[in-house]
Amino acid sequence: MSKDIVWRLLHRNISVWQLGGYAAATFTGLAIVLCAVRFYCDVHSDSEGDDPYVTKDYIVISRTVNAIGSLLGGDNSFSPEDIAELESQKWVKRVGEFTSSDFNVSASLDMGGRGMSTSLFLESVPTDFFDVVPSGWHFDPAKDTTVPIVLNKDYLTLYNYGYAASAGLPKISEGVIGMVPVKLSLSGNGKQIWLKGRVVGFSSRLNTIAVPEDFMTWANSEFGESGERNPSRLIIETESPGSPEVKNYLDSHGYEAAGDKAASGRAAYFLSVATGVVAGIGGVICVLAFGILMLSVWLLLQKNRSKLHDLMLMGYKPGAVGRYYYIIVGVVNACVLAGAIIVMLVVSALWRGPLEAIGVKGASPFAAILTGIAVIGVITAINFLAIRSKVKESFAG
Amino acid sequence: MSVTEITLHQVLPKVFGGMEAEERIANSEVWLRDLSFRRGCRTLVSAESGTGKSSLLSFMFGRRSDYMGDIFMNGENVRKFSVEHWCGIRSTALSLLPQDLCLFPELTARENVEIKNRLTSHRSGKWIEDAFEMLEIGNRADTAAGKMSVGQQQRVAIIRALCQPFDFLMLDEPVSHLDNRNNSVVAALIEREAKECGAGVIVTSVGNHLDLDYKEVIKL
Repeated sequence: MSKDIVWRLLHRNISVWQLGGYAAATFTGLAIVLCAVRFYCDVHSDSEGDDPYVTKDYIVISRTVNAIGSLLGGDNSFSPEDIAELESQKWVKRVGEFTSSDFNVSASLDMGGRGMSTSLFLESVPTDFFDVVPSGWHFDPAKDTTVPIVLNKDYLTLYNYGYAASAGLPKISEGVIGMVPVKLSLSGNGKQIWLKGRVVGFSSRLNTIAVPEDFMTWANSEFGESGERNPSRLIIETESPGSPEVKNYLDSHGYEAAGDKAASGRAAYFLSVATGVVAGIGGVICVLAFGILMLSVWLLLQKNRSKLHDLMLMGYKPGAVGRYYYIIVGVVNACVLAGAIIVMLVVSALWRGPLEAIGVKGASPFAAILTGIAVIGVITAINFLAIRSKVKESFAG
Repeated sequence: MSVTEITLHQVLPKVFGGMEAEERIANSEVWLRDLSFRRGCRTLVSAESGTGKSSLLSFMFGRRSDYMGDIFMNGENVRKFSVEHWCGIRSTALSLLPQDLCLFPELTARENVEIKNRLTSHRSGKWIEDAFEMLEIGNRADTAAGKMSVGQQQRVAIIRALCQPFDFLMLDEPVSHLDNRNNSVVAALIEREAKECGAGVIVTSVGNHLDLDYKEVIKL
């Protein structure tokens, strides 16, 4: 009953409008922050396709080829110093080297009775940089001389809609092409060999005809003629392929990025900035709302100052009296958090469809929920400290 | 947390600073003197209006600290007491009836007493009922304190002051608005309760004294 009496005594000056205003403002701000965090997590999550949409990304770079360099036969490779400098950039997570074949390669295949033969090139990159690592992605000349090959997806598209259509050849799917027998001829260093090849997968990240590193090491040692060479292409893993920093670095060093990664990276970078701005606006609303609450609590405690003082004279301790204000603030903040989380879950369901349509699976809501708990936790902790300080001040007489 | 002795050492309200030579300070038996109140005392502090009697009780109760000199409780300087320590003493060892009563006008008389008693759990419901009846305000127990006469409010505040264990009961003009008959009834209740727990009673008055058998009268 004493709790009830003290509660009845202290709650008389509580302004429902002030508390409601605070709750509405904090709710709005927090909901925006949580939605922004959730959206950010969703678009940075692993997608169902080969590449994450805007998450850690890869850029394949090479030196810009210019007319004079071509005529004079300039070196377009990356020296160990170039690679070391690249690795020291803060936007670079790691660098992988393309190893190209130092020998002649030609491939022939049989497509429905019509044979095709072409010279081609092979490259290998560290397996870590593959978006798809097919089973059997290794080569051991002592056991099995079949060479697994990963093609760029665009090559298949080029074949199906470019060459096959005009040459009257059948279109082939990714599954079927694995069954097409490929014969590889490797020659150089006075040697020549025929090997079987098999297309085991397609990559949208690697714009090349990729073979396992152990095959390339073996083949270069067997058929290579010019010995150790510097790589002419590098693959870089970075968090922000579209950031101006990356572009400036590449431009200033005469490097160019392959494909449209830089462009899509810029879109991703813009998306990150836009998400950050939205989260920032939510944060500002939260801060303003926090100010409203602090003011409300301040006014409430000021109005109740004489009552707090009289309770103190009776023997009530600051903690016992402050508890009522802690409960008010705690309950309001908990409701705001719950509301904001619900809104975040509902709103995120609205963008789930469009994101799934472009192959983005979406992330777990826990990061956003934890963010909400952290924000409300900090706000509540500061509220409590302010209440404690003000109550003690009232008790000091 | 028991208090057996309260000692004043050269205490003077700061507001009287520079007036030490004035007659009312020089002749005071409290200000700028060494003085002790012991558990079990019955002391009347007699004062003229404006001489600082409410200030004296406020200093000893930790309600104010704007004084020169020192006050000791069981030999410990009260200036070192924390807010929490004071709050503990106020619910277990010291009880004050302030002159302004400090009742909550929006609460009923009974609630004003309950808000204290539920903190201390010192009195039974029957004791409170009996006290209301004894002081002839039983029929006003459920009236908002703000709507009661000052004399009735004074009696509610007296009951509230008794709703805790205490070693010293400090009463600031407790019967200033009571007639002689009610004065005697209040005095009997206070004497009974103070005697039961062996507590000291310190009463201030400007004229209408609480009708106790004082062992000591001090001129402020």
